[in-house]
Amino acid sequence: MVRPYEVVYIFDSALEEPAINERLERYHALVKHTDSEAPRLNHWGKRSLAYPIKKREMGYYVVANFQAETTALPEFERAIKLDDGVLRFLVVADDKDYTVSREPGDRKFEEEEE
Amino acid sequence: MKRSRKGDPLAEQGIRYVDYKDEKLLQRFLTERGKILPSRLSGISARHQRQISTAIKRARFLALLPYVKRGGN
Repeated sequence: MVRPYEVVYIFDSALEEPAINERLERYHALVKHTDSEAPRLNHWGKRSLAYPIKKREMGYYVVANFQAETTALPEFERAIKLDDGVLRFLVVADDKDYTVSREPGDRKFEEEEE
Repeated sequence: MKRSRKGDPLAEQGIRYVDYKDEKLLQRFLTERGKILPSRLSGISARHQRQISTAIKRARFLALLPYVKRGGN
């Protein structure tokens, strides 16, 4: 079964951008299936961590959205786990729409919730 | 603390699902110490409170939010 996923990576900020892109490509090759589109990537860049991870105060954040076969995920996660360049990562099912669903002043949802 | 029954501030903004990557928004539902604010103080609906709590926990894991904030006292 194919499902949408969202992955947030926190790379070691000592890594150069080409090294990060190379890794992203390598990971996403693992979840590629036929007729899958290229993953949507959002580079947040370097930002400070709220608390140190592996003695690092900074991390390079990348958010990726893609469709993947559920059976491909364990191998994908294992590959990332083995990589010391990734401080931390989170995989979540991306089935929610976070966009704001209405203009303020629209009373439709208030009635629903009361 | 005023006991006025205000509407859900998230519903008012038209938020259906709370995004765990939006740490600015989540920050408003934390105490000074970084604990999750009870919904009786923030006035958000039970549905949104559940979403907020998972979102905060995910954001903490990603070091977007602290688990504990040390006060200056």
